Amino acid sequence: MGGFWILSTMTFLPLLGALLIVIVRTATAGQASEDDQGRKAMAAALIVSGATFIASLWVFANFDTSRAGYQLVEEAQWYGTITYKMGVDGMSMLLILLTTFLTPLCIIASWTSIKERVTEYAVAFLVLETLMIGVFCAMDLVLFYIFFEAGLIPMFIIIGVWGGVDRIYAAFKFFLYTLLGSLFMLAAVVYMSIVAGSSDFEVLEQYAFTPTAQTWLWLAFAASFAVKLPMWPVHTWLPDAHVQAPTAGSVILAGILLKMGGYGFLRFSLPMFPDASQLFQPAMFVLAVIAIVYASLVAFRQTDMKKLIAYSSVAHMGFVTLGIFSFTEAGVQGAIFQMLSHGLISAALFLIVGVVYDRMHTREIAAYGGLVVKMPIFAALFMMFTMANVGLPGTSGFVGEILTMVGAFQASTWAAAGAALGVIFSAVYMLRLYRETVFGEITNPKLETMTDVSAREMSTLIPLAIGVILLGIAPWLIFDITESTTTRILTLMAGG
Amino acid sequence: MLPDNVLIFIVLAPGLAALIAGLFQRLIGDRGAMIVTTATVLLAGILSLYQLFAYTFGGHDDHGHTGAHVIELMRWIDIGSFQADWAIRVDALSIVMMAVITSVSGLVHLYSWGYMSEDPDRARFFSYLSLFTFAMLMLVVADNFIQLFFGWEGVGLASYLLIGFWFKKEAPNAAAVKAFVTNRVGDFGLALGIMAIFFVFGSVEFEPVFTAIRDDAFGALQPIGSFVSGETPRDAAIAFLGYEVNALELIGVLLFIGAMGKSAQFFLHVWLPDAMEGPTPVSALIHAATMVTAGVYLVCLASPIYEYTVFASGMIVIIGAVTALYAATVGLAQNDIKRVIAYSTCSQLGYMFFAAGVGAYEAAMFHLFTHAFFKALLFLGAGSVIHGMHHEQDMRKMGGVAKFMPFTYAAMLIGTIAIIGLGWPHTTLGFSGFFSKDAIIESAFAAHLGGVSFAQMAFWFGITAALLTSFYSWRLIYMTFHGPYTGAHHVHGEHDDHAHGHHGEPHESPRVMLVPLALLSLGAIFAGMIFYDPMFHHGEAFWGEAIYRAESNHVIHDIEKLMKPDKETHAPTQYEWVFWAPILVTVAGFLLATFTYFFNRGVGQRIADSGGPLHSLFANKWYFDEIYNVTLVRGTALLGDVLWKTGDKKIIDGLGPDGVTSLTKWGSRRLSAMHTGYLYHYAFVILAAALVFGGVLYWRAGGAS
Repeated sequence: MGGFWILSTMTFLPLLGALLIVIVRTATAGQASEDDQGRKAMAAALIVSGATFIASLWVFANFDTSRAGYQLVEEAQWYGTITYKMGVDGMSMLLILLTTFLTPLCIIASWTSIKERVTEYAVAFLVLETLMIGVFCAMDLVLFYIFFEAGLIPMFIIIGVWGGVDRIYAAFKFFLYTLLGSLFMLAAVVYMSIVAGSSDFEVLEQYAFTPTAQTWLWLAFAASFAVKLPMWPVHTWLPDAHVQAPTAGSVILAGILLKMGGYGFLRFSLPMFPDASQLFQPAMFVLAVIAIVYASLVAFRQTDMKKLIAYSSVAHMGFVTLGIFSFTEAGVQGAIFQMLSHGLISAALFLIVGVVYDRMHTREIAAYGGLVVKMPIFAALFMMFTMANVGLPGTSGFVGEILTMVGAFQASTWAAAGAALGVIFSAVYMLRLYRETVFGEITNPKLETMTDVSAREMSTLIPLAIGVILLGIAPWLIFDITESTTTRILTLMAGG
Repeated sequence: MLPDNVLIFIVLAPGLAALIAGLFQRLIGDRGAMIVTTATVLLAGILSLYQLFAYTFGGHDDHGHTGAHVIELMRWIDIGSFQADWAIRVDALSIVMMAVITSVSGLVHLYSWGYMSEDPDRARFFSYLSLFTFAMLMLVVADNFIQLFFGWEGVGLASYLLIGFWFKKEAPNAAAVKAFVTNRVGDFGLALGIMAIFFVFGSVEFEPVFTAIRDDAFGALQPIGSFVSGETPRDAAIAFLGYEVNALELIGVLLFIGAMGKSAQFFLHVWLPDAMEGPTPVSALIHAATMVTAGVYLVCLASPIYEYTVFASGMIVIIGAVTALYAATVGLAQNDIKRVIAYSTCSQLGYMFFAAGVGAYEAAMFHLFTHAFFKALLFLGAGSVIHGMHHEQDMRKMGGVAKFMPFTYAAMLIGTIAIIGLGWPHTTLGFSGFFSKDAIIESAFAAHLGGVSFAQMAFWFGITAALLTSFYSWRLIYMTFHGPYTGAHHVHGEHDDHAHGHHGEPHESPRVMLVPLALLSLGAIFAGMIFYDPMFHHGEAFWGEAIYRAESNHVIHDIEKLMKPDKETHAPTQYEWVFWAPILVTVAGFLLATFTYFFNRGVGQRIADSGGPLHSLFANKWYFDEIYNVTLVRGTALLGDVLWKTGDKKIIDGLGPDGVTSLTKWGSRRLSAMHTGYLYHYAFVILAAALVFGGVLYWRAGGAS
């Protein structure tokens, strides 16, 4: 395709915006107050991320949903066998849309809550956006690795600089875990590029690695993706990272970064190492079910709202693992859907916590109670997302859960039954959270001055609410896009 | 059958009304929200009742016989053969359910104008009521298991919201969560059942699945899973959790676990009495007439499955019979007027289940239908008493209320006579409960004659429960309405949240509450007489293909053939006593209650005070809550704590990042005693590990070649 490089434009638009902000800031240094600069930087970031969202819609308009495989491919010789190659399929297209949809919401959510180093914050988010989009666009393993790893840095900084009291511990833990996984993946990337003579996805997908090589490569990739997803037992970085991260950081973390794990399994593990994937299916099922049940039980005992939702994320991502490793159409479609759905729901729940945190500066569940009296609109929205999180039919949460379980049932009734237990527990911990924060009498006098969600906060929550309901009622909007990708992955897996 | 557009209106309009009332309450005000919802649901009720009568007496049109009428609304989930559309599927079962749901709901909406007149959150209340109506309708018009599940959980949500409607108080909140979670336990079974259906049939749509079972051939269906043995739908056995089980038995049991949750059957019944914390109109609509009967509906709908199961049907019979008796025993010893009726509901649902379990689906559905009217009547009557008594629910503080509330008293009497089943056998004279409950008891006996497992037990449990039903129902009447008025000391008491202008003596409820009572009384009196023939006696024609009967199932015929007196000679058979047994025990129960609570008021209280073991057992609901609390509730909390504090913090973090940190700290102290816990230490460790791993990988995978 020799035409306009539409994917690269979209990918690097936020980075360009970040550069502009830095340049303007350097040029105007000393002329405007830091506060004023920050304000303008945030406005610029909103405009840029908004433009990126429009660009992604433009990409989507050019995307042919009926075609399998990669589209809108852009390719240039880079270095040796490494090419700069970008392209999208149904799965990455949707994850890109999720990214570009959530980033502007993050900027809006941070509008008043970030008070220090605001310009740097805006820049960090824009850089992060480019790297996230890059992860989903890359069609070359080395390029993918660069985006994948580089994304760590802005997130590390966002937690480490704008985080809570224990932000350093959390940031290090986050970095440590992900780095651990990443380095194993690096070894695998190097090996694959040398052995297959190319790092092009399409070449690698067709290359038949020996079963032994597959096993080791699979493990190396899994080390990285399992940490990202996160799977039990490498999940403990997530609650700490979430608790310490600023609201928007949690939104991106839960909304996008976790999805890279599921994306990786579907992009690499299944199509490129099919034998190894089969080999590890039972182990993955066991870990997925443990994640669902274990994290749900732990979530029930949390006293910190964000930690509770973080553990809930671990449980819900367990359904993604389950669906992927069912190797069935329903399971894989369900897993992709669950990633998108969880992206919306967890983002919304972290924003919900952010709303009360900005007013009360505590995430302790015990500090709340009776919010509905002062904040009826907040209560209604919170209820909606709570129900979406427990997988009530009619919301997007249901579709992903039921399909991954239907897929898993075909592979293992144990796995399906175990996962279904999670459906009970999710009601237990979410309804407890809701009851103790929203219902009851107001006992904490500080709550008496609480105000309901502002127009700015509504503008972040309402789009997510619409998304959650729309995907719950008409999930075929998604399935029509992911169907060909799913078929392609399963065909590649079957050796076709 | 109504035109498509009208059917769509009936189902969707309540949902729309709920949205309008919920989202625009500030714009249209409380009154606007009440008018929109009430008018919509009442209209839907009139249309649905018209449909029921037209279907029953206008001659069944084609649809009654050839199957259901399906309107596809929109695509929903379609992945390969996993097809679930938004649809409206109307057959005889749906027609009956729609009539019950919308008519009772309409009257409850109307009643709530009075009952909730002083509540500041009326718009929200009416929005929830209509939301419930919508979800329940979606449940009964589904054409696939996924939409059924949507309605199933949707009514659960509405129930949760309405039980916890008074969100400031502790008890309603706890009850709401308990209801939702207990139902989720049932839904766990239902969801697995749906997965098993897809596994076996490669479809989640009613029509193809049920047809396959009827024909015992998969036809165009492609099973998704592999069978351990058997090739036809009825023979297929699959591996489930390591066991080889017959597919239909498995599906039957799993679906029934769902039904147990929703219909508050033994083991999963604990949420229903607590649900009485919700406003009384909610108890009438959701926790008596409609939602809790969804389980019975599901079992009847899935009759093609249960016709070919032995174990699953047997389980239904046992659980149903045990619930019928168990709940009746607990009902004997409750003092909260609503809780008595709640246990009564539980017990009556048990009757419906064992009827369905022995194969008398017609009897189950018929009782569901009549029960909706008299049980809603009893609840709304109790609500009227509570309203008139300024939110007093303890019957010990009532007594003599009849003279203050004559109209309510009359309505409650009608409801009571209907539930105990007064009527004269072999005639068409009787209150509605007489026809439907006796149909169930006769069916159980006929099934016993036909050799159906556990049918004999169900029959005797049913008879005993009928005795208890009569006793606790009359006990309620006597304690509440007769004797001296004992609540006088409550005047200007602590229950002043009910801001009446004239505190003090109980007062009759406003007309807007009495009209629904009057209309439901009509149902309680006449529903049985009118619908006994079409729904039960000639049920085959009425239910058409909506209820499936295998050739081996001749339960209903046996009542006619083996038990009823000869048509020519009118000579009674040896089983004539079966027809008289229910009315005999009912009268016995009445006499006992009259003796204890009417002529000798205080005897009951003395029994209670003496604290005998049996009374304690009943009054404490057989200690189910206590047992569940100690085992399940505390167990879950404890497990959560252990996994969190030991699993995550000590083991995973201890050996993982924190372990690495302390190791590095220890190492660096040893080496230089200067640097502690810096990032590059970990990075170094990890990098070294990765290099080793890479080396191993390269070597093991034969990459050198």
